[in-house]
Amino acid sequence: MNATTAHRNTELRLGLLSVGITAFGYVLVQLPDKSDIPADLWIFVSIFVGLYVLAHMAIRQFAPYADPSLLPLAAFLNGIGFVTISRLDPDLARTQVGWMAAGVGAFVATLVVVRRVRTLERFRYSFLLLGVLALLLPLLPGIGKTINGARLWVGIGPINFQPGEAAKVFLVIFFAAYLVDKRELLSSGTRRIGRLVLPDPKHLAPLLLAWAVSILVMVQQKDLGSSLLFFAVFGAMLYAATERGAYLLTALVLFVGGAGIAYNLFDHVRDRVSTWLDPWVVAQGKGFQVVQSWFAFGTGGLSGTGFGRGNPQLIPNAPTDFVFSAIGEELGLFGAVAVLAAILLFVGSGFRIALQAERPFPKLFAAGLTTIIGVQSFVIIGGVTRVIPLTGITLPFISYGGSSLVANFVILGLLLRISDDNARARGEGRRRVSSSVAA
Amino acid sequence: MNRAIGRVGTAVVALMLVLVGMLTYLQVIHADSLANDDRNVRGVLRDINRPRGPILTADGVVVAESTRVDDKTEFDFQRNYPNGELYSQVVGYQSFVLGSSGVERTYNDDLVGKGLDLRDPFGDILGGDEAVGTVVLSIRDDLQRVAAEALGDQRGSVVAIDPRTGEILVMYSNPTYDPSPLAGHDTQEVNAFYRFLTSLPDKPDLARAYRERYPPGSTFKTVTASVAIEAGVATPDREFPVLNELDLPLTDNTLQNFGGQSCGGTLAESFRRSCNTTFGQLGLDLGDAFVPGLARFGIGDVPPIDLVPAAALSIGPRAGSFQEDQPLFAFAGIGQGPVATTPLEMCLVAAGLANNGVIMEPHVVKEIRDSDDDVVRSVASREWKTAVSPATAQAVAAMMVTVVQSGTGTAAQIDGVTVAGKTGTAQAPPGDPHAWFVSFAPAEAPEIAIAVIVEHGGSQGSEATGGRVAAPIAAAVLRAYLGR
Repeated sequence: MNATTAHRNTELRLGLLSVGITAFGYVLVQLPDKSDIPADLWIFVSIFVGLYVLAHMAIRQFAPYADPSLLPLAAFLNGIGFVTISRLDPDLARTQVGWMAAGVGAFVATLVVVRRVRTLERFRYSFLLLGVLALLLPLLPGIGKTINGARLWVGIGPINFQPGEAAKVFLVIFFAAYLVDKRELLSSGTRRIGRLVLPDPKHLAPLLLAWAVSILVMVQQKDLGSSLLFFAVFGAMLYAATERGAYLLTALVLFVGGAGIAYNLFDHVRDRVSTWLDPWVVAQGKGFQVVQSWFAFGTGGLSGTGFGRGNPQLIPNAPTDFVFSAIGEELGLFGAVAVLAAILLFVGSGFRIALQAERPFPKLFAAGLTTIIGVQSFVIIGGVTRVIPLTGITLPFISYGGSSLVANFVILGLLLRISDDNARARGEGRRRVSSSVAA
Repeated sequence: MNRAIGRVGTAVVALMLVLVGMLTYLQVIHADSLANDDRNVRGVLRDINRPRGPILTADGVVVAESTRVDDKTEFDFQRNYPNGELYSQVVGYQSFVLGSSGVERTYNDDLVGKGLDLRDPFGDILGGDEAVGTVVLSIRDDLQRVAAEALGDQRGSVVAIDPRTGEILVMYSNPTYDPSPLAGHDTQEVNAFYRFLTSLPDKPDLARAYRERYPPGSTFKTVTASVAIEAGVATPDREFPVLNELDLPLTDNTLQNFGGQSCGGTLAESFRRSCNTTFGQLGLDLGDAFVPGLARFGIGDVPPIDLVPAAALSIGPRAGSFQEDQPLFAFAGIGQGPVATTPLEMCLVAAGLANNGVIMEPHVVKEIRDSDDDVVRSVASREWKTAVSPATAQAVAAMMVTVVQSGTGTAAQIDGVTVAGKTGTAQAPPGDPHAWFVSFAPAEAPEIAIAVIVEHGGSQGSEATGGRVAAPIAAAVLRAYLGR
């Protein structure tokens, strides 16, 4: 048995575990009402197993040497998310099954189309253009739509989607490629201001511009969560590319400055901050969501109320922004930390893929994609637990939402592609190794 | 790049650990207080489909009960509040939208039968789920009705307590409301009614009897006299000058007697005629010793009544502030200025003086019964504060008797019973003064203490005094209690 087969078999076994946990949760959710095994369990389990096997087979075919832990972790998160959504709103859950299928479709397509990550590097400016266009799309009259106060949606026919989710991936491609290209220039300064050595502004300008435009657009669209995410991800990528702490400091200064301007300019930013500082004075108004979220966590306690036995429907937007609060209420600290651990394992695998990459572009690209998942999880979980001000954004793989799920599956596909490239570069593709070594 | 990527990874892990820390705070350290917060309706939702026992008055009138319904909602029971308007501010409500309040909240465990000490545990298992508790109030429906009728459509409160036990016999305030719509099964309707209720300018949802503070005016002279006698600053025989007005230190202002009359003489005489000059002087004489004396009456402390939301705090002058705020201590002596009390607190003052200086913990529930009508738990009588010595209490009580016999409170006289009382007409600009009366009877062996306030003089407006407007209401309740 070679490394490929061992990896893929591990992936299959772990995947069955994820499917099993999900199916068990699905039964539990239905029990308080019907005390019977739900009739659609087998349909649901078949779809879930089918999608998993499809994704798995795609990896076997198109990225056979890729990391075996990412797909099962994504399936676990996605499964827990689905069960929680089905518990909150069965209609939404049915739609989510469709989005899961679309996500797996996008995943397979990513593996099929992107045969080499290097190809992406070449089209960096096209991706920049695509990214900015995608961000601007919702502002176009006719197809742009405002949902829940944020103008991030594009509606074509019956289907609404958030192009910002795609923009996220496009812009990370651009940033990775651009930074890799210019990192020598960026890390060796040519100008001195006091003790600070600055690079030629010629190289820095496009970066700052792209950064500023994307963030301004999102603040304008009231998508504070994405602005925060972009800022953190690009800051991390800039630091990773240059290894220069000064950039981190600059990013921090820019962030504080930008946040200060946004605070003074926009009412909705001020609202978020004051609600964060004291939600209790507006517990029946603007602070209702966060207060309900805290109640959910408190009521859940250590071990939770049990799936289907709590009242997470009391939290507004529970299937999307507040899905983690619903998990905290019904699965308790144990369940919430298990989900965090799964996210952490996913992120850990992502960074390992980045570290193993030999060429700079895939290295930085993998780090950027992984940072998206990690920081996005922190922004929304931090928001619903009141570690930071609440900014609406999805919890990767878990929240209800098609665009987000599809984007996450594309990220998963890209990470697996890089991982597969890494293994091939190390020669695992050609060299046969004994199973004991592979394990 | 690897080193920097490693650091980014470490930073992400650190962020996740912050989340684990916060979750531990929310789900372990802070979990109980969040789970039991008033505004967290999950507790109500858990209980809403359990059978729930009734709430009765001491004389057996049903004020809350559950009936099984099939109204095509997810709820199996409907909570009803017969006599809703008469009891809403004590009984509260159980609402799956708003949470619960009042007795419905404080005695929730008894009502759902949790922790009931059942004599026959097996009977419970075999008999199904009917093991709910009946909560019996100490409030008497006949007295509550007399109070409500006497108050009529005037805004105000009536609170009566058995001074020996702390059992509340009457607790009513007007305006009031019927809580039944809040127990409805339609979220929209409940919210709409709640918004309507809380938007009304005269605040019918405010339990004035224990949640609203007023200047107590001259009824507070009972406290000032007690503290002064207890501190050795005065005796009932101490002479005070006969004055029209009292010069206040540090300012050009004066403190005037009611109607600008001249008033004074002994402390007892000043008490009977309610001379402001004398009691303003006592406030100044007491100085910083006034504040700890008030604290012994519970001013500055929340009365431990068995209701949610908790009683409001009654307040007096700031400790140690006499040197800079001397005039405030003179005003405090006559129950104005920095003093603001709840009707409940003034009733506790009267109850303490009636009970040889000891104030019992007030409570609205007398006992819990099981479905066989056997008492499973009685609410214990406990001392709350020792306000003054028995001698001081008796001296002040004797002065209060003269108020009703021949002073400002003659409207509270009852044939064949010695009534002790004190009137108050408290300045409350911009409106007309509040009319107050505190009282207890029979003076020799008190069984009931009462406080009445009619906001802004009620129907008599600027013509009102405590003696003319509030004393008759108190007398009506006392008569009903004493059977006269």
